[in-house]
Amino acid sequence: EELVLSSWLPPKHPVVTQVMTPWAESVEEATEGRVTVRILPKPLGPPPAHYDLAADGIADITYGLHSFTKDDRFLRSRIGQFSFIGDTATDASKAYWDVYSGPLDAQEEHADTKLLGLFVHGPGMFHNNQRKIETPEDFSGLKIRTPGGYIAGLSQDLDITTQFMGPGEVYEKLSRGVIDGVTFPMEALQAFKLTDHIKYSMKVPGGIYNTSWFLVMNENRWDGLSDEDKAAIEKVSGAALAEMAGRVWDAADSNGASYVADTEIEVYDAPPAVVDAIRAIAEKREAEWAAAVQDTGFDGAAALAELRSQTGVSD
Amino acid sequence: MPDESTQPAPSRLWLGVKTILGLACVIVLFALMGLICVDVVARYFFNSPIRGAYELTEIFLAVLIFLALPLTTQARGHIEVELLNGLKSRFLDSLATVVAALSTIGVFAILSYVVWEHAEKLASRGTVTNSLELPLATIGYLAALSCALSAVLFFLQSLRRI
Amino acid sequence: MIESLIGFAALFGLVLLRVPVALAMIMVGTAGFAYMRNWSAALNLLGGAAFDTSLSFTLSVIPLFIFMGNLLTISGVSQSLFSTAHHLLHRMRGGLAMASIVACGGFSAVCGSSLATAATMSKVAMPSMRKAGYADSLATGSIAAGGTLGILIPPSVILIIYGLITEADIGKLFVAGVIPGLIGVLFYLAAVYTAVLLKPQLAPSGAEDHQVTRRDRLGVLAVLGLFIVIMAGIYGGFFTPTEAAGIGAATALLIAVLMGGLTVGKLFRAGVDCAKTTAMIFAIIIGAEVFSNFVSYAGLPDAILDWVTSLDVNAYVVMLVLVLIYVLLGAVLESLSMILLTVPIFFPLVTSLDFGSGILSDPEMVVIWFGIIVVVVTEISLISPPIGLNVFVLRSVLPDVPLPTMFAGILPFWVADLLRLALLIAVPGLCLLLL
Ligand code: NA
Ligand code: NA
Repeated sequence: EELVLSSWLPPKHPVVTQVMTPWAESVEEATEGRVTVRILPKPLGPPPAHYDLAADGIADITYGLHSFTKDDRFLRSRIGQFSFIGDTATDASKAYWDVYSGPLDAQEEHADTKLLGLFVHGPGMFHNNQRKIETPEDFSGLKIRTPGGYIAGLSQDLDITTQFMGPGEVYEKLSRGVIDGVTFPMEALQAFKLTDHIKYSMKVPGGIYNTSWFLVMNENRWDGLSDEDKAAIEKVSGAALAEMAGRVWDAADSNGASYVADTEIEVYDAPPAVVDAIRAIAEKREAEWAAAVQDTGFDGAAALAELRSQTGVSD
Repeated sequence: MPDESTQPAPSRLWLGVKTILGLACVIVLFALMGLICVDVVARYFFNSPIRGAYELTEIFLAVLIFLALPLTTQARGHIEVELLNGLKSRFLDSLATVVAALSTIGVFAILSYVVWEHAEKLASRGTVTNSLELPLATIGYLAALSCALSAVLFFLQSLRRI
Repeated sequence: MIESLIGFAALFGLVLLRVPVALAMIMVGTAGFAYMRNWSAALNLLGGAAFDTSLSFTLSVIPLFIFMGNLLTISGVSQSLFSTAHHLLHRMRGGLAMASIVACGGFSAVCGSSLATAATMSKVAMPSMRKAGYADSLATGSIAAGGTLGILIPPSVILIIYGLITEADIGKLFVAGVIPGLIGVLFYLAAVYTAVLLKPQLAPSGAEDHQVTRRDRLGVLAVLGLFIVIMAGIYGGFFTPTEAAGIGAATALLIAVLMGGLTVGKLFRAGVDCAKTTAMIFAIIIGAEVFSNFVSYAGLPDAILDWVTSLDVNAYVVMLVLVLIYVLLGAVLESLSMILLTVPIFFPLVTSLDFGSGILSDPEMVVIWFGIIVVVVTEISLISPPIGLNVFVLRSVLPDVPLPTMFAGILPFWVADLLRLALLIAVPGLCLLLL
């Protein structure tokens, strides 16, 4: 049985070459060749369409970001987007899979698909070319590209003007002064060639934000597999995939960090006053989220505490 | 040949539709141009770009396309290839006319249906744009209506040519 | 693999039956995807593609650059460009054909479309050449060929679409088009020179001078100014390409107002015309998206990549084969759909090639260079029989000139194009010098 995977990242992106391709091979191996996964050379739609490509059966398997589309789905997935959730992608991804797919019943939010995997990238950082952020007031008036969702709201509360655009447009807009900076993990500075246009990169313990990713399969195709193959695929997915993806992101971040070390960019840890200001807003936003999650019958606050205790950033 | 006196009603209606769509296209085109210029000025002189300019640009483009699509289709403005002119066969010529007309009407009718379905899905999920939170389903409905109108106009035009 | 070939055959069949190209691609792409998978998936895919493709930030430059060209057509700067070139070149044999080429090159600097460039210039250049006793073949040939420069000299709709498919920087693509565009003008001038040298009866030995008016000088200055605003804006990092398009269109409006003759009615028609062209272009983009999804699902790009890799030949040999395929395809395919259908298939192949240690050792440079090569082969396709859209444009403006005469007039320019193509492949630096 051949399953078709639609992939929207560039074919040489580490998530394709070091996560999706090895995962596809491990599926074939685990099912002794009964199930194969073919990665298409060209995606069947734009990145934001990818969840629905699998849900609607246009493709069998897709991956993507929960924050791609702004709608009523995936409320509980946002636990993976908050500040201070993990110092490494590996720890945070494992905890994210454990908590979101466990107590927060991620499968229920992934309607019409079988949820195969969840992961996050490395700790999100704050990069800009205007000034070193030393007090919370330094954020004020900066024009920053954010991926939307939690970090967009957090930034607005810090008096930042947020701008939304595709990640591919960041270089162009940064070099033309349309934006002053961007929130990204470390690896993106090299991946998107931003090092000439960034001067200050601020680290926040556990990350100022993160981005949550899914790997899903069309539900009907999943139901059509034998129980033996389902078990084999589940074994190489889930927690195993979270760990594999986390390691790839961590490696990308450490490559990115040594690349950035040779540039003029000043990489520094956020001063306590800045962390405190972020924490104050984060707590407010987390409480709002937990209340909304409460309405769907889940305990968001407990889940977030559990996630942080697993990654060791709880204090 | 239809009698001249039977013509005015549909063609006056068409003239009205054409004028309204044309006017709407020009307004959206100017809005798109104005949005970009004002955004540049706001950025360079006031350091405050327009919120949601990115998604407004996308929306203006989509609206422009779907307002203009019936006009293009009615004016037979889609690129087609005239190779059969070399073959002087009347049969082939009529066959081509019928196949092309049926294909055009059929494709736009199907497009209208599938885009409407897509819009329904967006509506049921409550999908909105990133900054301004505008409902995306609205554009889907507009696109579906545009494809339906294109099919109808092309059908009427083909009837008149026969 | 075999499904893809059947799909292409069905596409050609429908196109020959005069089904609009965009709709033929939608039909075959949807039916093919349904055959490979199922109808529900195919119809869902179609709905999503039509919706998502139209909501594109990058492609918003298309209506703006088209509007800019339409406004400049109204303003009459095409006449100014031709009159000035006429004045400069009238003493040469074939001078008016050369003036047409130069004026086409100038208009290309403010118009993103080859068809619009050819249509606009034919209205001003053709009457003068006829009056001076030029052979119809040379006259139409020079305008049809000169018009192709519209997509190479920036701004260019085709380069924008190439940038969208390959995620290449559109600003860099525009900059890369400048020198090959100027080489194109020079080679076309040489083509005219050679043609009249071999066949002096094509053109009189000289023509009456043309008085250059103040208005003409203003028109030339306006074109030059607008081009500088756009290119310096992009090159100097002041504007993104989208912003350059918006500012460019607004400036063109200002030029049209200042040059006089702009009425509300003309403005309305220019706007509606731009919207209709935009809808036509997007119908093709949507069709190509659906068709190439089917072809990709059917495994054609993978098969081609595997096959070429297994041949294990020099990168330049692969490029030559690709260019040959393009020239052949270009004869029978419409230009926009040719780019949209082939670039997703050939692009992964080209980026996997090893061009050695020169300027092409940088993968980003390969992307830009291939973009320019693709545009040049597209230019060739626009004047290649049997389906040469630029020739069709001239034919609709000049219905009394038979097609064979037009294609005969194209021949010297076609040869010039092949030579230019060979030069740009052999010396990639010509595309990449300004980057
Ligand atoms: Na141009
Ligand atoms: Na051709």
